[in-house]
Amino acid sequence: MTDEEFRARLRTFLTDNHPGHRPTDRAERLAWQKAWLATLFDAGYAGPSWPCEYGGMGLSFARQVVYQDEYATARVPGPLGTGVGIAAPTLIRYGTPEQKSRFLRPMLRGDKVWAQGYSEPEAGSDLPALRTTARRQGDEYVVNGQKVWTSAADIADVLFTLVRTGTPESRQHGISYLLIDAHTPGVTVRPLRDLTGDAHFCEVFFTDVRVPVADRVGEENGGWPLVRTSLGHERAAGAMNQAALYRRVLDDLIELARERGATADPLVCQRLADFETRVRIMRYTGMRTIADILAKGEPGPASSTSRLFIVTFEQDLHEFAVDLLGAYGLLGRHDPHAVQRGRWVWGFLRTRASTIGAGTAEIQRNTIAEQVLGLPRDPGDR
Amino acid sequence: MVNLRVEHDELRASVRRFLADRSARDWMESEAGFDPEVWRLMAEQLGLCGIAVPEEHGGAGGGPVELGIVLEELGRSLVPSPFFATVALAGQALVASCDDAARSRWLPGIADGSLTATVAVAEESGSLADVATTAMAGTVSGTKMFVIDGHTADLLLVVAGTEAGLGLFAVEGDAPGVHRTRLDTLDLTRRLGRVEFDGAPAVPVGDAAFVPGVLDRAVVALAAEQVGGAQACLDAAVAYAKARVQFGRPIGAFQVIKHKCADMLVRVEAARSAAQHAAAAEPAELPVVAALAGAYCSAAYTHAAKENLQIHGGIGYTWEHDAQLYLRRAKSSELLFGSPVAHRARLAGLVGIGAHQ
Repeated sequence: MTDEEFRARLRTFLTDNHPGHRPTDRAERLAWQKAWLATLFDAGYAGPSWPCEYGGMGLSFARQVVYQDEYATARVPGPLGTGVGIAAPTLIRYGTPEQKSRFLRPMLRGDKVWAQGYSEPEAGSDLPALRTTARRQGDEYVVNGQKVWTSAADIADVLFTLVRTGTPESRQHGISYLLIDAHTPGVTVRPLRDLTGDAHFCEVFFTDVRVPVADRVGEENGGWPLVRTSLGHERAAGAMNQAALYRRVLDDLIELARERGATADPLVCQRLADFETRVRIMRYTGMRTIADILAKGEPGPASSTSRLFIVTFEQDLHEFAVDLLGAYGLLGRHDPHAVQRGRWVWGFLRTRASTIGAGTAEIQRNTIAEQVLGLPRDPGDR
Repeated sequence: MVNLRVEHDELRASVRRFLADRSARDWMESEAGFDPEVWRLMAEQLGLCGIAVPEEHGGAGGGPVELGIVLEELGRSLVPSPFFATVALAGQALVASCDDAARSRWLPGIADGSLTATVAVAEESGSLADVATTAMAGTVSGTKMFVIDGHTADLLLVVAGTEAGLGLFAVEGDAPGVHRTRLDTLDLTRRLGRVEFDGAPAVPVGDAAFVPGVLDRAVVALAAEQVGGAQACLDAAVAYAKARVQFGRPIGAFQVIKHKCADMLVRVEAARSAAQHAAAAEPAELPVVAALAGAYCSAAYTHAAKENLQIHGGIGYTWEHDAQLYLRRAKSSELLFGSPVAHRARLAGLVGIGAHQ
């Protein structure tokens, strides 16, 4: 089968099986998403980057690029929770055969939702300082502590959690990786309201939660190196999709500017032309990254800087959009006079998180400076 | 496609090797402004002058992508030569003109390095668009300013107005009616001339339609050079940050210095994406990609040049240090073919921002 035949078949499948409009009711939406993920899995179209033996498609990088392109174009729901994107590579690389056979397929099919228990109130950027403890008692760990910013914890079945099994001072040398059943007695999940008013994230409290040692991935105190595992260059396969998404967002913004007569102002046109420049560069960089991986097996430095480029873009764009609204930027999204149901105001608020979540921009810059440019680590670092 | 990549890597490596121990400073204050031996080697030994000249005219048959690779390396090193004006400006203009007579007449000399050339666009007003220089009855009259190598080039391709619109006209540098002076410039490694034409004999090149493309190609070529210069600034800043010790540690250990370098890298890589895409673009896409590459790469280079100087602290402020050479080149490049503001205004028009559907 050629890449084009593969593309055509996938496109046909996605079109023929499209689940339709996203339900507004939360419970209905969850069922709708799970039904879709099951359909995808049962037809053999889930897990493009996963080895076939675990229910995936085992696609080459080139095919993964095609897959990501068609999937994004089809506008079908993505995976639930953060298991598929974050925990799966770790489990595939480091899990025991028993763990893999127990956990992977249900995760991929959407039967079980996974949520990430990493950050804590006292351990954000400095994650090795985490304090949630796991005390060994026979063939169980007893877990006590608290996690924060756990997205989808309220619908999760499994919390993949970093816990301290070493001494309080052991930092990254005393961390273990546990798969905690979210329904275990002692697990309390509380929604965390963020500044947009939404509650996508949760706090999770562990009070004497018993976890079988068999549900630890990797060695005791050997959890830290497992954290940043990835499956080949699966992230890069979707490099074009963010560019395509922001292309659409910018098109909407330009249309908004026209409708409001703002494009009569040359300064507005300057700003829009700058966004136009940057959104196109996003696409070119995606193409370059993919081409480098296909030709050399490795992405160049452009892939390490593209995230910063993108988050800066989305913050700038949404703030500019609110500014464009003028006085109408004063309205919240629930006001009947709100422009476009408040999407831009909501976006301005939401994108405050773009430079914070999944690694702050400051840490990102440190990482780029140290790992890409080879600048020396801070002398305070241990 | 893989073979092409290997060839490109080899081209880049050979140019880099050639330029490695050559100093911009050694020649920038000389009479000619460049080392004639370097120019000869570039043309004869490395075949760089013919890189984007068709084989039938003595070149290697490459295009804007290969030219961009050479320009990026030249931009890194700042070694002065007639290359940009001769090959990137005039050479590309002649190739694009589809004028067989003009191509046969001048491209071989460009390819073998025996002919230097340039393109004269800007008027005394500074404008690139309001062309007061005119061409009629086989002559050109008017004044061109800010012409790269304008005071020394053997051949000048002049943008002039006719009854039928703008056209490109070839004038020999030492022809009667040509009076030229060298300008004192901000950029110490690239010389500009003021050229007065008083009924100077001129040969039309190509038709009116291809003239806008001449400037677009110049902008794209400059963008490649700007990426190389920005990369050089980043490399210099990082090297210094690793070596310079203050407060008992390399200054690169301090977070602000790290962040400045990281921000430079973000812009350099984005600029590289823009310049490389522009070099490979189809002709129909050229006006848009030229505008966006011009805007972005100009700003990225100037930013990198300023930050490099800043990171070098006091020593960056000296005459002797090369940081100022990059700063001067960056700022001048930003102004040479239209500012980022002008590029963005043009881009806005081209993609319909401001126009009603």
